[in-house]
Amino acid sequence: MESLGQFEQIVLTAILALDGNAYGVTIHAKVEELSRPKKATRGAVYATLDRMEDKGLISSWLSEPTKERGGRSRRHYRIEKSGEKALKDSARTAQRLIETIAQNLGGLAWKPR
Amino acid sequence: MEAALTGPPEWLERIVLAAIPPQAREGVAGDLWETYQNPWQYAVEAFDTVPFLVWSQMRRNLNLPALMLQGALIFICLGGPVTLLLMPLLLLRDAYQPVTRPCPRHAIRQAILLSAGAMVLLFAIMSARSTFSVRAGVDSFTWLSLFLAALFLSPFLCLFRAGLIMRGDRAPQLGLRDLSKDALAQAYENFQQRVFCRNLLEGMALVFAAASGFFLDWNTLLVASFILTALCLMLESVPRLSRACDFTALRSRYQRDLARQEQLRRFLRWLWFAPVLLALHARLAGDGLVGSGLTQGRPVSALLDCVAAAILCFLVAALNRENGGQVREQIGALDRMREAGTPDLG
Repeated sequence: MESLGQFEQIVLTAILALDGNAYGVTIHAKVEELSRPKKATRGAVYATLDRMEDKGLISSWLSEPTKERGGRSRRHYRIEKSGEKALKDSARTAQRLIETIAQNLGGLAWKPR
Repeated sequence: MEAALTGPPEWLERIVLAAIPPQAREGVAGDLWETYQNPWQYAVEAFDTVPFLVWSQMRRNLNLPALMLQGALIFICLGGPVTLLLMPLLLLRDAYQPVTRPCPRHAIRQAILLSAGAMVLLFAIMSARSTFSVRAGVDSFTWLSLFLAALFLSPFLCLFRAGLIMRGDRAPQLGLRDLSKDALAQAYENFQQRVFCRNLLEGMALVFAAASGFFLDWNTLLVASFILTALCLMLESVPRLSRACDFTALRSRYQRDLARQEQLRRFLRWLWFAPVLLALHARLAGDGLVGSGLTQGRPVSALLDCVAAAILCFLVAALNRENGGQVREQIGALDRMREAGTPDLG
């Protein structure tokens, strides 16, 4: 069973949310949105994508080259079954954490951002 | 995403392209172009991104057994400080592996550079004063012969590289044509069978070599490496194909296995040549070049052994570059491949 780090969870969620339009630029934008107020560098996103691809959590392919990219292709990413499973497991753990924190700090004392 | 109206200046783009490791170049350079605002923003963005990419490609292409074997050979032959100097360079070289086979022009240039380097080295030693111990006891005629031998090395190495390139040209390629899922599954299954047979045969050959090495008084560590590698190879089998896989997942798995097998081959090529390199090193020690000075030794023989070791390393590196390039071209072809009969969603 593959366990995910926090940044990996964010990147995987970004790919999931972007559905068929997940490539470097859009994934980075989505990751910045999800990890607010923290900043995420684009290089860290690429390195995480490579790592997750090596683990078999995501797969990638190149699209046709386009003019707006200087004649270069987009590397598209897609979440795989093992990635979906790992993400669901992480979400369950996060859910348990949220519930425990809410119970102990009180519903009004702690609000998720 | 909004399309950028203009791209970065050509000179800046060239620098950035050179800095991005080839395996990530296509996607990342396109992303940087797409978000281009001005040269300064482009340069800063690239400067921020490149170290992550280099690190990531180093990790991806790291072949620890091959690196350790290379490190051990360098350590035995050239000592600790040189090993410390060369290891980061070897790691960096792994990160910047080209995605295509070397073009004939580059390959031939490398061969010429190596033989020219040998000639320059010989010339420098010939011109040195008598304080240079290697020169002791060698007449001018022998030096001239050595110099000419280095000169004639060039066509031999060029022929070898040309032969490798021609062999690569004839090798079957996946090509850029689109395949159906079943055709891709069939290609992957054929690949698995080829790998299984090859690993089994090579494993048996390694056991045979280790047994011979035992009687030929090889280094114990080397014999152990041969046996361990043989065991790993015989146990090695590419994971069986799951019929539930769709085209994209199947393609990814095929790419990963291609890369994994190429890593293994890179290590094996160095392992097969390691006994010869160690034997050359032992001869050099006998010639007096390693350890105590050369005045009592055999300088011509020592020089020839040095040249032989350099040529051997060149041959292994050339084999690795050529075969590695072929595999990376196949991985690239798979990257661009679409499932036949489906629209391109990219």
